[in-house]
Amino acid sequence: MGLIDRTDVPIERLNRGLKLRGKLDLLRARNLRGKLELLRYRVLGTEIDKGLLFKAAVYIILINVAFIYLKPILYMVTTMVKDARNILDPSVIWVPKSIYWGHLKEASEMLHYGKSFLISLSLASSVAVLQVLSCAIAGYAFARLDFPFKKLWGALLLFTFIMPPQITILPSIMLFKSFGWLNTFLPMVVPALFGHGLKGALFVIIYRSFYSTLPKELDEAARMDGAGPFRMFFRVMFPIARSATVVVVLFSFVWNWNDFYFPSLYMFTAEHVPLSITLARMAGEMKIAEGAGELTVYAESIKMAASFLIIMPLLVIYLFAQRWFIEGVERTGLVE
Amino acid sequence: MKLSRRLEGQTLRKLEGSLFIAPWVFGFLTFVAFPLGFSLYMSFHQVKITVNSVNYTFIGLKHYREILIANGSLLYEELFPFLRESAMMIPIILVFSLLIAILLNLKFPGRTLFRVIFFLPVIFSSGQIVQEFIAQGEGSLSIMETLRIDYYLQEYVPGAWAAPIQKVLGSFVLVLWYSGVQILIFLAGRQTLPAAVYEASRIDGSSPWSTFWKITLPGLVPYIFLNLMYTVVDLFTFPSNPIVSRVNTTNYGSSSALAWIYFTIILVFVLLTLLLYSRVDKSLSGSKR
Repeated sequence: MGLIDRTDVPIERLNRGLKLRGKLDLLRARNLRGKLELLRYRVLGTEIDKGLLFKAAVYIILINVAFIYLKPILYMVTTMVKDARNILDPSVIWVPKSIYWGHLKEASEMLHYGKSFLISLSLASSVAVLQVLSCAIAGYAFARLDFPFKKLWGALLLFTFIMPPQITILPSIMLFKSFGWLNTFLPMVVPALFGHGLKGALFVIIYRSFYSTLPKELDEAARMDGAGPFRMFFRVMFPIARSATVVVVLFSFVWNWNDFYFPSLYMFTAEHVPLSITLARMAGEMKIAEGAGELTVYAESIKMAASFLIIMPLLVIYLFAQRWFIEGVERTGLVE
Repeated sequence: MKLSRRLEGQTLRKLEGSLFIAPWVFGFLTFVAFPLGFSLYMSFHQVKITVNSVNYTFIGLKHYREILIANGSLLYEELFPFLRESAMMIPIILVFSLLIAILLNLKFPGRTLFRVIFFLPVIFSSGQIVQEFIAQGEGSLSIMETLRIDYYLQEYVPGAWAAPIQKVLGSFVLVLWYSGVQILIFLAGRQTLPAAVYEASRIDGSSPWSTFWKITLPGLVPYIFLNLMYTVVDLFTFPSNPIVSRVNTTNYGSSSALAWIYFTIILVFVLLTLLLYSRVDKSLSGSKR
């Protein structure tokens, strides 16, 4: 930190004093005091946030909260590999004595995992790609270009952000029905193409706040070099927004992957459905089975296995992307 | 000559801008404005769907009257407790995410690991998975039972508030789960505060405590309000929200009316937030001068 670290001050003063006096016992006494002082500084810190005590407190809070976040995942993973003996054994709470993969297999069969996985993957990634492009274009226009009624459209953008999807869902269903798009992916994909779709307004806002932090000279330099507006956007402006793009891609992919609401209303009778729907259907089936008195011991393990199967791809992606993601969060104006 | 060229440049710029915004505007008109207007239209009509056609009969405010007055159980017995619950969850989420964001902003070994863990809720909290966890009882704190907080609540808190408080405490962990994005926003916002200011306050001998209250918190006010807005919007589309499942295809007319009533409530919330923000912002910039 700063120019003078305050821990050094007492020792320096001490040393100077020693040279002048040179008395041994005095030295000892002072040395002891210096050491005590040093200890105090170590524990309490020159400022509070440098001391051991504070650091310990920080770690305690963070580890506790981290545990809250990790516990359901741990629970999910440990429950999923328990077989009947381990479930019924009261001495087994967390760590099972043996690992059993049968639940995973059963859950993946019930979810039609292979097919639904591909559907979810293609749906979420296509929506994410489209949303990134269209929202970047719209955000760029909002931040740096001029067009008629800009203020009005900006207000409408905010309006779209705060509007709950429930209010437009019924007419949207009727609209898409008249297009003949029900039970296809088009109701999710086409709005994304135009910068809407699931939380599209938020992504436009993220891009807008990112682009409005860039210096004006950038446009002018590119313009002077003779770049047209489209070239400028795709060659300069879009690549420069990498950190915002990482955040938007990850959010968009994850939210679309997890989304249950839109698919459940737009494709309720479809045969090819994403994982979020098959999970809900599976839960329904299991509830019926439970009512009929079947599968009681395994139900939880199978549910957890299914949850794990759905979350795992996201976890893998997140583990790879987290470095850029955290960097992106720090660097973008993720916020205005 | 010069003037016309400048004008030309300006119109050219406007044309460029219009070209870039056109897809979004088109999308807005088709997927937002049209359904919005149509749902308003339907809320004043009795909608009958037959095999080939849809019939609308104008009935005026009947749907609204039914929901607000005649058959108010949904609104007053389900939505209002939910709103009270949200009113309590919002401050918890804000304070908690601010605390975590500030801690994550400190420099300490293992910070990256903690950041990775703390962004996990962003991945989970939007899906069906959280519903599963609620069903498993993962949302509750065991302290609740050991300290018998329930009992004290029932004893000392007025009835209308005791139940929501109990519910919030019961799903306290869940509240933490829903603060993933808020932590992100605060963390990103904290990066915008210049390090030089902190250095200066340190040299002037300000304690970290007063540094927090005098520098960090005022600097984060815009983000606090952004988070407040985000949280309000997020909570209102919560999966456990009683309204969400009521807006369905069984009765188009009254569902639309319900959605509009609900939206009006949200708008009031958001406008209150904005009003508060402009007040706070004004008083802050006033005190700086």
